[in-house]
Amino acid sequence: MNFNGLSIDQAPPISAPLRFFLTAPIFGIITGFLLLLSDPAALSNRFSLESIVSVHAITIGFLGFVMLGALTQMLPVLAGVKIPRVKEVTTLSHMLLVVGLLCMIAGLYFQNSVFALFALVGLGGGFLIMIGAISIAIMQVKNFTATVRGMGVSLFFAFFTVLMGLFLLYSYMYEDFSTYHTIIANTHSVWGVFGFGGVLIIGVSFQVLPMFYVAPKFKRFCKKRVIWLIVAGLLLWLALNAFAEPLSVFAKFWIALFFWAFATTVWKKLNARRRPISDVTVWYWRSASIFLTLGTFVWIFDEWFSSEHIVITAIFIGGGFVLSIMVGMLYKIVPFLVWFHLNAMGYMSIPTMNEMINKKLATAQFVLFIVSLLGFVCAFFMPFVLPLFAVTFILSMALLEYNIVTAALVYVKTKKTKPDFDMSAFSS
Amino acid sequence: MATIKEYLTTDHRKCDELFAAMEDAATQSLENAKEAYKAFVADTERHFQMEERVMFLEFENKTGMTEGPTAMMRHEHAQMRSLMQQMGEALEAGNKDKFFGLAETLMILMQQHNMKEEQMLYSMAQQHLSAESDRIVDMMESMIVE
Repeated sequence: MNFNGLSIDQAPPISAPLRFFLTAPIFGIITGFLLLLSDPAALSNRFSLESIVSVHAITIGFLGFVMLGALTQMLPVLAGVKIPRVKEVTTLSHMLLVVGLLCMIAGLYFQNSVFALFALVGLGGGFLIMIGAISIAIMQVKNFTATVRGMGVSLFFAFFTVLMGLFLLYSYMYEDFSTYHTIIANTHSVWGVFGFGGVLIIGVSFQVLPMFYVAPKFKRFCKKRVIWLIVAGLLLWLALNAFAEPLSVFAKFWIALFFWAFATTVWKKLNARRRPISDVTVWYWRSASIFLTLGTFVWIFDEWFSSEHIVITAIFIGGGFVLSIMVGMLYKIVPFLVWFHLNAMGYMSIPTMNEMINKKLATAQFVLFIVSLLGFVCAFFMPFVLPLFAVTFILSMALLEYNIVTAALVYVKTKKTKPDFDMSAFSS
Repeated sequence: MATIKEYLTTDHRKCDELFAAMEDAATQSLENAKEAYKAFVADTERHFQMEERVMFLEFENKTGMTEGPTAMMRHEHAQMRSLMQQMGEALEAGNKDKFFGLAETLMILMQQHNMKEEQMLYSMAQQHLSAESDRIVDMMESMIVE
């Protein structure tokens, strides 16, 4: 047992998670512009370069960044361990990931192999440094709770998703496609979304929903078994795709079943929560639950339409589920970090969390976000509407950036102006 | 009898329930919430004192760690006491936005604190103090709040 997480000195510096959080919406905006500039017809094919570029701008640039930032902050609290040399590790990997992702976008968009090479080095280095550092931290954990197990499992899938991604990027770069290209691409996307993103969200929600919303606890079965059942489904997915492709629908059904059950559980827990507060974060949990349900259903039913609607599944699950949760979390975690770090320095007259972000702007951001997602689904059938919803998406991401930067600026301003320095609260 | 870990973890949930009841009352009117606020603060203060005056002391005596995790937990108790006091002032002033803003901040701080205790400190305490567990729980149960 160690107590790293119990000491303020061991909490990561605010810059470690914030640099990831503040970059994420910028990649959201870039994704919006990529959608605006792409040929809508090309986007309805998941293997077109336009699709691959846009999908990775948001999955790596937003989802990946927020998940890595959140892990640096959550590990000390939830697992009692800290990432070694957290400041250096986060600064370096953040820089590599930003450069790597921009080069990937440019490399694929302009078919430029020099950019693509930088992308391989940047993304490979950035992800592997972070995954390695977090793994070292997790290996020191003595008390494995369901949430920490979720984090470890998620990291396992993150590692393989990244390796497969690098291989696929290499294939596109040199137009050297292996016979396993489709299997690797499928496993890369399914393991990335469900294994890395999904399992992390489920693991963290075991703690977050009951504690922050005073909702009923998750059942023992959920906490003990569900993550392993999902792992079994994801491994089965790979095995069946590789050796018995016609049977892979069973693995798909298996994975979808547990995620659909999770979506329903989230909805029921929110209904049964004891806190009456309904803020933008709760709406995001609810929208995530609805979109995840729709996404799993479309994913399964699409089996009878030769996966023609896979893009809709991606919008529902990647955008509606994973992205919703991440955006909702940013609205809580950024103001809290600002408050927590200022308070720990002894500042007492700090705005409360609710005063840091304008509620109306957060609501407007939520509405724009949901409208954009629904618009993207419409655009699948009516491509000419895509530019309109690309614009609403850009606006929603710009507003999100504005909202969280406003909170982060409270930290900068307070440190600069030093309004008070009241230590009386610590004298007892 | 409950172990130290079970006893204090259950008490966290009781404080959470009282917190929720306080917020529930405050959504109707701040005037209504005063009683619920008092009940929440009283119970939370009792929880803090059970730790600070009984369990932390026993833990510190047994392990010799006085500047370790218990010092950090005491520091966070001070932060939470300060927030609760400010919430009381917001209630008196009838400032609903301020009250809910402080409540939200307290909630996240409190839950982050509870996670650290439940997942690390209580397990550690249970391990070191298992032989005296019943006596310590008895002392916490019968403690009179100062």
